[in-house]
Amino acid sequence: MNIAETGVAKSPLQKAVGHLTDWEGFLLAVLLVTIIANASMSDVFLTVNNQINLFQLSIEKIIVALIMTLIIINAEIDLSVASMMGLAACAFGWLFHHDVPIGLAVPIVILIGALGGSFNAFFITVMGLPSLVVTLAMLIGFRGLARVLVEDRGITDFPEWFDALGQQPLIGPFPLALLIFFALLVFFIVVLHFTGFGRYVYMIGNNKEMAVYSGVAVNRIKATLFIASGTISALAGILFAARVGAVRGDVALGFELDIITMVLLGGISIFGGRGTLFGAVFAMLIVLNLRNGMALANITHHLQTGVIGVLLILSVLLPNMRGMIRQFRESRASAKS
Amino acid sequence: MNNVSKLCIAALVSAGCATGAAADAVMAQKGMKADMVLLPKFLGILVFDQANTGAQEAHAELENPGELLFVGPTPENSVAGQIEIVTTAATQSRDAVMISNNSGDQIVPAAQAAKDAGAKVVTWDSPIPSGEAEDVFVAQVDFASIGEVMAEMAHSILGGEGQMAVLSATPDAANQNSWIAAMQDALKADMFSGIELVDIVYGDDQSEKSYDRALALVDKYPDLGVIMAPTTVGIQAASKAMQDEGLCDEVAVSGLGLPSEMLSYTLNGCATEFALWSFVDLGYLTYYTAYLMATGQIKGEIGESFVAGRMGEYTIEKDPTRENGLRVLMGPFTVYNASNIEAAAAE
Repeated sequence: MNIAETGVAKSPLQKAVGHLTDWEGFLLAVLLVTIIANASMSDVFLTVNNQINLFQLSIEKIIVALIMTLIIINAEIDLSVASMMGLAACAFGWLFHHDVPIGLAVPIVILIGALGGSFNAFFITVMGLPSLVVTLAMLIGFRGLARVLVEDRGITDFPEWFDALGQQPLIGPFPLALLIFFALLVFFIVVLHFTGFGRYVYMIGNNKEMAVYSGVAVNRIKATLFIASGTISALAGILFAARVGAVRGDVALGFELDIITMVLLGGISIFGGRGTLFGAVFAMLIVLNLRNGMALANITHHLQTGVIGVLLILSVLLPNMRGMIRQFRESRASAKS
Repeated sequence: MNNVSKLCIAALVSAGCATGAAADAVMAQKGMKADMVLLPKFLGILVFDQANTGAQEAHAELENPGELLFVGPTPENSVAGQIEIVTTAATQSRDAVMISNNSGDQIVPAAQAAKDAGAKVVTWDSPIPSGEAEDVFVAQVDFASIGEVMAEMAHSILGGEGQMAVLSATPDAANQNSWIAAMQDALKADMFSGIELVDIVYGDDQSEKSYDRALALVDKYPDLGVIMAPTTVGIQAASKAMQDEGLCDEVAVSGLGLPSEMLSYTLNGCATEFALWSFVDLGYLTYYTAYLMATGQIKGEIGESFVAGRMGEYTIEKDPTRENGLRVLMGPFTVYNASNIEAAAAE
C-alpha cells in the first residue's frame, strides 16, 4: 500500500503523491472540512496569532509524534516519551537551579535523553524484552526521577531570553519550537520515505523474521529509533520549559496518550508496517484544528476529549469496515457464480 | 468612637471590612458589557460548580450583557488544559479571566498573554504563586480567622464554659496546625477564659482512626463538652462516633465540615454547629471583583474598596501570604446549623 506498485521511474513528487493512500485522502478531506468550519464559525480562527497558538499549545506533542510514527511503523511502541519530557524539563530546572549555565545545561539534558533512550534500546534489543513493558517501566521510572529532582516546588526564575525563546516569534511569526518541528518533519519524511533506512523500518515492522533473514541490522535500527525518541523527547521537554517558563514534577504528564492517538489516527497500524508520515501529519493537524475550533466555540474539555475519542475509534473501524464490505461483496459474488 | 468606625466593626464581623476605608467604596454600576471566563482547577468537582452558581448569580444581578463562560480542563489534563483555556481566552479578547490556578507558575505566560490582550486576570481559590500576570487574588479565608471562628463556635456550643479537645488530621499538616495555633491564640481573649483546651489528638484524616480517637477522648475526659475537628474527615468521623455511642447530648462535635456530609448529624443534634467557607459566595465575590475591574470601575490597587452586592464591602490589600500579589479577602466563614444546612447541602 505504501510502496509504489509500478516499476516505472517516478519523480520524487510523484513518489510522494503515490504514498498517499485512501485513508490519507480521507484525512485530508476531514482536515479541510474542519478548517472551513472553524473559519466560518470564528472570525479569529484564521488570524496569524491564533494559527501560531494552535501549533504552540501542542508543539511538544507533535514534535515527539514524528519519531513515534517511525517507532510504531517499526511495530514497537515508546510509552516513556512524556515521562522523558518531564525528566528532561526537571533535570534542566535542577541544573539551572544549581548554577549550571544554560548553554551547558541544554546539551547535558539532551544527553540524558539519549541515555534514557539507550536504556530502553538495551532492554528491547539486547535483552529481547517487549517495548510495551520496557517503556511502561521507564514511564514510571523517568517520572519518578523527575519528581525527585524538582518535587512540587516548581522552578520558575529562568532568564528572560530563555523564556522569550519559548514564547516569542524567532523568524517572522514563527517561534523556535515550530521551526524545529518543521525541520524535523522534513528530515523524517526524507528518512522514512526516501532512504534505505526508511525501507528497513517498514520491512522490520511488516515482518521482523524476514528482515533478520534478509540480513537487515534489525537491532541497530530499533536501537537508533529508541535513542532518537529519547533525545527528541528531551529536546521537547526543554522546549516545554521555555514555553511555560516554569517546570514542575508533573510536566507533560499523560502526553504519551495524545501523541499515540495522533499517530494511530494518521492511519499508522499499531501492528507495524503500515502508514506514512503524511497521514500522521494530517492527523496532527486535524486534532489541533478540532481542539482549537472547539475551544473557540467554548466547548468544554470533556466533550473535546470525547470527540477526539470518537475520531480514533472511527479511524480503526472505517478501514476494517471497508475490508469487511469488500469481503461480503466477494463472497456474494462467488455464491452467485 | 464615631459612628463610621462602629459600623465598620459591625461589618468586620460580618463581611471583612477594612478599617477606616469605608467612606469611598465603589458601588457597582450595572449593565456594562464584559465577557468573562470562569476557570476551575478542573471539571466535575462539586465546590467548583458551586462557585459557578455564585458567579452566575452575580452575572444576572449585574445585568452584564456580555457572556459568562464556565470552562475547565479534564482532571488528567489540568495543567495543559488550563494553559490552553487561558490562551484561547486571550485570542477571543475576553475582558476578564477568573482562574482557580492548578498550574503553579506555568500559567504565567498564558495569563500574561491574556493581560496583554486586555483581559483582567483574577485568581480565586488558588493564586499564581509568584503573583506575576495576576491582577488580584480573591482568597476564601484568612488562617487567623479560622482560629477565631472555631473559638467562637466552641464558646456558643459550651455556653461559655467547659472542656474542649481537638481532633486534627496528621500531626504535620501545615494548614491544620496553623489553624489550631490560631485558635489557641484566639482562646487567650477574656471572652474565652471559661474554655479549657484539654488535648489535641490526630486521626490522620482516616475515618476509622478518627472515629477511635474521638471515642478515646470521651473515655479520657469525662467532662468533655466539645470535640473540635478542623478537618472534614475528622468532623464526620467524630460525629458518627458520638451518634453510634449515643453521646450526642453530652459531647458536641464542631469544626470544619461539608454541609452535604454533615446534614444528618446537624439535624439529629450531634454536630449542631460547624463552619466552612461558601464556594457559592467565593464565585459571587470573584465575579464582582473581576466585573468591576474589567469595566474599569476599579483599577486593582491597594486600598480600593468596593461593594460586592449582597456580601457587602471589600478592600484590595497586599497579600501577606505571598511575596508579590494583591488579594481580596472573602472571609469569614459560613457557620452552618439547623437553620441553614439543608439549603447548603442541596447546593
